[in-house]
Amino acid sequence: MRESQIMFIQYMTGLLILVFGSFHFLLISALAPTTDKVLYSYTYLNGIRTLAGGTLYYSTVKAVYTSLMWGSVFELLLTFLVFHIFNGFRVILSEQFPGSKAEKIITYSVLIAAMIVFIWGSRTIVLMLNGGL
Amino acid sequence: MTIENKKGWISWFNPFKYGTDRWMYALHRLTGIVLGVYLMFHVVETSRILEGAVTWNSLMVWLDYPFGPHFGPLILSAVLLAAVYHALNGLRLTIVENGLMLPKPYRPEYPYKPRSLRGLNNFLKIFLGFFMIAISAVGIIYIFTGAIL
Repeated sequence: MRESQIMFIQYMTGLLILVFGSFHFLLISALAPTTDKVLYSYTYLNGIRTLAGGTLYYSTVKAVYTSLMWGSVFELLLTFLVFHIFNGFRVILSEQFPGSKAEKIITYSVLIAAMIVFIWGSRTIVLMLNGGL
Repeated sequence: MTIENKKGWISWFNPFKYGTDRWMYALHRLTGIVLGVYLMFHVVETSRILEGAVTWNSLMVWLDYPFGPHFGPLILSAVLLAAVYHALNGLRLTIVENGLMLPKPYRPEYPYKPRSLRGLNNFLKIFLGFFMIAISAVGIIYIFTGAIL
């Protein structure tokens, strides 16, 4: 693939991340499926601070993950992010370490790292869509 | 020759001979690296939800108070600032570098300043700068208080 085509995808994924990332931020605030819209809501049980609600509480997060619509949004966001971030790393590293041999090493290393992050993230999304382990 | 003259990433922060665009470029790369590293932590952290409610809730409590009161929200606010800056500056770069929103070409006249590009770029810096302050303020207030405008 030509560098100009890769950079075009870099711009496009950047714009898509802006849209899907906004949904992600809204989902842990205004759109969270809970009446308690704070990130953390605590109670004290026998003097020990315990998480009892909020948008990051287990049942709230699970309700989001088990929704097919939000699961799809997360998967798309992860795909765009992984491409955008690791291509960015590739560009920065290629500038720091010039040369065709270094570029090959950087490209393949970044590709492997991107695959690991993508598979790891997708695994969580897919398993949670089916209710977890 | 290229390698000999190369200054590496140190050159990102050379303020001499360059204007605000250079600093914004350096900050764009820095925030990109920070957000990239954060994504990897975020993917690993969110995968812990598979271990059940007790693990997840205790992880969230730890992330809220990792090294003392308000440290978690401070880290989250820094990530939010980096994300908002990177996103809006990226939007500016997408518009400017691809020549979008540029007016029709005009006859070059002395002193041949690229007025159209400079004007648009400056406008975007100010407009998106205000937008960045507004979004960051709303986000940080939400992180610390839970208040949504």
